[in-house]
Amino acid sequence: MSAPGTSSEPGTQPGIDPRGPRFGAAITAVLLLVVVGLALSGSAVAATAVLAALVAIFAWGAFAGIRRHPWGRLYATLVAPRLAPPTHREDPAAPTFAQLVGFLITGAGLVLHLLGVPGAFVVAASMAFIAAFLNAVFDYCLGCQLYVLLVRAGAIRPRRA
Amino acid sequence: MDSPALLAIAALVIGATAIGLVIRARSGRVVVSDASQAADARLAVAGADVTLLQLSSPVCSACAVMRRVSEELVAGERGLARRELDVTEHPDLASAHNVLSTPTTLLVDAHGVVRGRIVGAAKPAEVRAAVQSVRESIGAAA
Repeated sequence: MSAPGTSSEPGTQPGIDPRGPRFGAAITAVLLLVVVGLALSGSAVAATAVLAALVAIFAWGAFAGIRRHPWGRLYATLVAPRLAPPTHREDPAAPTFAQLVGFLITGAGLVLHLLGVPGAFVVAASMAFIAAFLNAVFDYCLGCQLYVLLVRAGAIRPRRA
Repeated sequence: MDSPALLAIAALVIGATAIGLVIRARSGRVVVSDASQAADARLAVAGADVTLLQLSSPVCSACAVMRRVSEELVAGERGLARRELDVTEHPDLASAHNVLSTPTTLLVDAHGVVRGRIVGAAKPAEVRAAVQSVRESIGAAA
């Protein structure tokens, strides 16, 4: 999807390697499938532990920024050096927002589960899996698309200059 | 792991793949509307017969892709202009034009009537074809 010759001058907009968040989303997607599998085969404690870890990792990405995300560090140290340089870089705002959406969905699932709501666990993990899978495989940020709906609902308001 | 768990995992992977294929097929699709909406002169760039009005958000990677595509097109075509607005600052526009995702690019004629839309990032040839068909519909109406 990159147009040769139109990449912005280096240094003007540093940005991040867009493959980093997709790599991270693939790890997250696999772990979310593990959560669903454990929950449905009766290993509730193990499933809760893995989901709690994922909630913490989402929070890390959302509040510390995608650049400090553990999967992002893994990508930068182990994977990126073995790949060609990225053809374009992207604004970290989108993947960071996606982490926040992931945090809210998995966090809600965990809290509802601990409150004893049946099915909350599997539903939340499944929703998060679909978002992570679309990000990893199709380069589509489902969480980011929620932004417009939140603006229209009045949940996100324009910044006052 | 017993079979319900494996079935659920298989269903999730297949379902997510199906959603992804649908999204991919719909992305960049051009819809030319029947110009029945009321004109809003604020939308058009003065002097252009067609304006590509891109509605973007700060959390949108495809917006940058679409920006490059339309900037290149505008540079090479007379009468074509582009502008880009952040939906955060213009929630009214997002609601009025039923924008569900970014980027959504509205094809606006000189009077500010929305003649079509492109949802997602599109290829240059697709945007050029969309501009062409909007120009034809303007010509047919005139």
